[in-house]
Amino acid sequence: MKKKNVWALLMAAVMTLSLAACGLTNTPASKTSKAEVQASTSKEESTGGADTADIKVPSYTELNLDDYKDVTASIKFIHHKTDRAADGTMDNMVAEFNKEFPGITVSMEAITDYAEDSLLRLNAGNWGDIMFIPAVDKSELKNYFMPLDSYENLSGVLNFVDAWQFDNICYGIPYMANAQGVLYNKAVFKAAGIDNLPTTPTEFLADLALIKEKTNAIPLYTNYAAGWTMGAWDAYIGSVSNGDDTFMNQKFVHTAAPFADPGDDTGAYNLYRILYEASQNNLIEDDYTTTDWEGSKGMLNRGEIGTMVLGSWAYAQMQEADSHPEDVGYMPFPITVNGTQYALAGGDYNYAINVKSSDENKLASLIFVKWMTEKSGWCYNEGGYTVVKGGKNPDMYSAFDGCSVLSDQPALAGEETLLNDMNNESELSFNAGGNAKVQRIIESAVTGSETLDDILLDWTKAWNAAQKELGIEVKY
Amino acid sequence: MQAKAKAIKKKRTFSQWLKSRDGQKVLIITAFMVIPLLLLFVFTYLPFGKMFSFSFYDMKYVGQRKFVGLKNYVKVFTRDDCFKALGLSLYYMLGAVIQLGIALYFATILSFKTRGGSVFKGLMFFPYLINGIAIGFIFKFFYTRGFVFDTVLHWFGFNLENLPYWLKDQRINNFSLVGTSVWRYFGQNMVLFIGAIMSVDSELYEAAMLDGAGKFQQFKYIILPSIKTIILLNVILSISGSLSAFEPPYVITSGANGTGTYFVVMHEIAHTQQKVGLASAMAIVLLIIIFIATIIQRLLFKYVFVSGEDDNPKDAIRRERRLNRYLKHKAHRR
Repeated sequence: MKKKNVWALLMAAVMTLSLAACGLTNTPASKTSKAEVQASTSKEESTGGADTADIKVPSYTELNLDDYKDVTASIKFIHHKTDRAADGTMDNMVAEFNKEFPGITVSMEAITDYAEDSLLRLNAGNWGDIMFIPAVDKSELKNYFMPLDSYENLSGVLNFVDAWQFDNICYGIPYMANAQGVLYNKAVFKAAGIDNLPTTPTEFLADLALIKEKTNAIPLYTNYAAGWTMGAWDAYIGSVSNGDDTFMNQKFVHTAAPFADPGDDTGAYNLYRILYEASQNNLIEDDYTTTDWEGSKGMLNRGEIGTMVLGSWAYAQMQEADSHPEDVGYMPFPITVNGTQYALAGGDYNYAINVKSSDENKLASLIFVKWMTEKSGWCYNEGGYTVVKGGKNPDMYSAFDGCSVLSDQPALAGEETLLNDMNNESELSFNAGGNAKVQRIIESAVTGSETLDDILLDWTKAWNAAQKELGIEVKY
Repeated sequence: MQAKAKAIKKKRTFSQWLKSRDGQKVLIITAFMVIPLLLLFVFTYLPFGKMFSFSFYDMKYVGQRKFVGLKNYVKVFTRDDCFKALGLSLYYMLGAVIQLGIALYFATILSFKTRGGSVFKGLMFFPYLINGIAIGFIFKFFYTRGFVFDTVLHWFGFNLENLPYWLKDQRINNFSLVGTSVWRYFGQNMVLFIGAIMSVDSELYEAAMLDGAGKFQQFKYIILPSIKTIILLNVILSISGSLSAFEPPYVITSGANGTGTYFVVMHEIAHTQQKVGLASAMAIVLLIIIFIATIIQRLLFKYVFVSGEDDNPKDAIRRERRLNRYLKHKAHRR
């Protein structure tokens, strides 16, 4: 189920980009819809302003839940968690909410094909009061959603609120967050005599060799055949491997040699070196061309696999796959930059409130969102990284305690499409389905056809050619 | 007045003509043809025309398009991955030859009275009925280390240690993939061949037997010439199919590990890298290559195999003479 959400997110990302592209071309259709929305909002403001002046909707940080126990309203929440709607989790949370706020009736609707359907609903209007933000253009946020708070205020109390901020105003709050690390089997690590989790690529490779030597487990399972599992390695080329949260969305496209070896066991070079050397030294699965993703979950659970490089969303699936959930562990990626290990985390879907709802409903919705974020425990129960600053993290993140958790800074204004353009032009497609290039590392390592330097030099050439073709300035 | 009368008269003649037998014939033919032609145009020629025009643009699925002339075509010929991928088609062509050989062999046997003939026909045709994607998944497990294929070979005394990795070893993985497509399509070829062989007059076999012709001679002098049209058709379909092989590599190996055929590369460029113009140019280039391959095959059949396309024996003799003369001439020059 969780994987589905990640795909939905990816879809959402793709659709955002395509929408952004639409905006560039200024197709007449998008122009008119934008104008209509603006017209209707301004109309509402002018007519509805007078009679609702008596209710003031506070900002998220101003709102004190205890002051509003007697609010009465009926609000509607549309979301994508069909699995949680089916197993009763959603209803239970609302029942808990109603113990504190008996006057607020919450009706919910779970939408299966959320990424697409929610966009249609949004354009049709009249969708309810609270939704998870689908792929809309950031500049259009104000036409659809109520401003929740200023970025300064909100980022003081919550993590990952920058995804849907525009002009320093936040329109969304993530319901949970994911972190990027490495899945491992605790029992296998113990049997191999690994007491301290590895913190550098060199240590990691040594540990993989230990697993191979002392246990029957496959040290590093690559899931080569599935393809997207290989592309998952791209998630670590930014802050995780260099500690710079501006690298991925801002500096990467302007970097002349992003794959050069910095010489201190960091950077994209050493990230992919793990994969290359593990493949070269037979530390990966024997027949990588016939791997089976579904089967691999149970194998990790049973201790037939030592490690897998995947995002935290996979953790719960690995736990559920067989009878040893207690053995499944999650650790930060073994790269240390100047003494610190970095973890990349980012918000999942964001709550947002309909700007066109009545002020009563806006207030009730804000109360609900704040309660869900801070008191429902949903994020924790889903195994998510905490959204509330200083909040309790699930045990799976215990290894992340000493880490610095970053989320990637957004692209600079006017450069939002550059990474996408570079990905397409260079055909490397980082974090965008560029699986073949990572598969090539394994093929080359096993067959000995190319060295890692050959491959990365090739990528650098493609990257530089794309920069030249697109006229992107090389700054770093 | 006169002009007006003439006009009325003319109009009347048209409606009269429309009511006449000829007019009705034309009307009905047109009415029946409009819909299929419209469908053909909308779903085949219009998209093709669009694709052809896309091949001159630098474009993604959304966003602005930029006219770049022949740049995409230049790229197809200068990129090293496009034509390297086309080289993989040689594996599939080899497979096509084997496939047609097997199909012809079984077709010949099964078109005579054989015990359990229909059962065998059914069994061999069955793979063709399975969905290509499903076949991909079947063979993914079939070739997995220590799974079906290895187990079967183990029964015959092969040691797992000595067996290759069917999909991992880059020297044989393309043969493994070709194997799946031979397995899938030879039954269909066989059924087409059986159909053609059935139409041969059985008296010919009796006459041949009376003249002392053996089974192989019957095959060579009776069956083969009688079904050459259907053979030519199958060869052309198999070769163009080899050039555009897609399903086995896409589903089983997703084109990784040196199995990415031209189509898989084209798919990757169009959908992952979003270079729609370049992919369209690749499609046009492939179309031209398939045209050329088809023409070459027809010429080969016409001039190398003596009793080629038409059945006029005089023509065949004349062509044979011409061919001999040509070969002699060539030998002299050498």
